[in-house]
Amino acid sequence: MNASSEQAGSGDGKRASFEREALVHLDALYRVALRLTGNGSDADDLVQETMLKAYRSWDQYQLGTNAKGWLLTILRNSFINEYRRRARHPETVDVDTIEPFAVLSEEQEADPHGRFFDQIVDEEVQRAIDGLPEAFREALVLSDVEGLSYQDIAGILEVPVGTVKSRLFRARQMLKAKLYQYAVEMGYIKGNAG
Amino acid sequence: MNCREAVEHLYEYLDRELTPEVESKVREHLKACPPCGEHFDTEQAFLKFVEARCRSRCAPPELKRRILRELFGE
Ligand SMILES: [Zn+2]
Repeated sequence: MNASSEQAGSGDGKRASFEREALVHLDALYRVALRLTGNGSDADDLVQETMLKAYRSWDQYQLGTNAKGWLLTILRNSFINEYRRRARHPETVDVDTIEPFAVLSEEQEADPHGRFFDQIVDEEVQRAIDGLPEAFREALVLSDVEGLSYQDIAGILEVPVGTVKSRLFRARQMLKAKLYQYAVEMGYIKGNAG
Repeated sequence: MNCREAVEHLYEYLDRELTPEVESKVREHLKACPPCGEHFDTEQAFLKFVEARCRSRCAPPELKRRILRELFGE
């Protein structure tokens, strides 16, 4: 069927089109929800609620357009409205005023190519991401885990593209610094600081 | 393009967000400048590492069943 100019919810095709264009993004929604809420049970609830809202609004969605971005927008809005207050403390600093900082430290000199990465397991990286300020965390997950464009991320987060770039830059530097620090603590690399 | 300009475009280059024109200028610089080439390779490896460590998570099968039940009464 030619879906290009079709309303998503028309007739008998609603379920089929929802399965084909929305449910295929379940894993992506779950991964983002996990990093936003920080725990599996809230992530489950958030994803379920997102899918129910999406299905109810499926008539608004134009088939063949960016379903992943549309779903992630619903997910993030639900998170902000219903989960953030109880899941985590609200952000008390304006992250966009945090100065970028240099990651080049003694630790990085000891392992400039990041060979220690191989020794760091999934859970530890996810924990490090969970420790980032929320605004950095969501930009990083949407870009580096889900592969969205700056433009799509800007749309979901409702910030200018320039803000996405600067948050991504600082999120990546901060995550790298955390992982280097962890690698030193675990003895994967030698810190020179002593 | 000099080293400073190339590094300013680091993430836009790795994220494929540059115009084709600027992208090819960065690529030319990286070919001609081994230190920058290495810097970019290391950053790219880091981003790939983060992706791989997070992409392993999938939605639990029970969640999918719950959602199908809610949506379609199955
Ligand atoms: Zn250079």
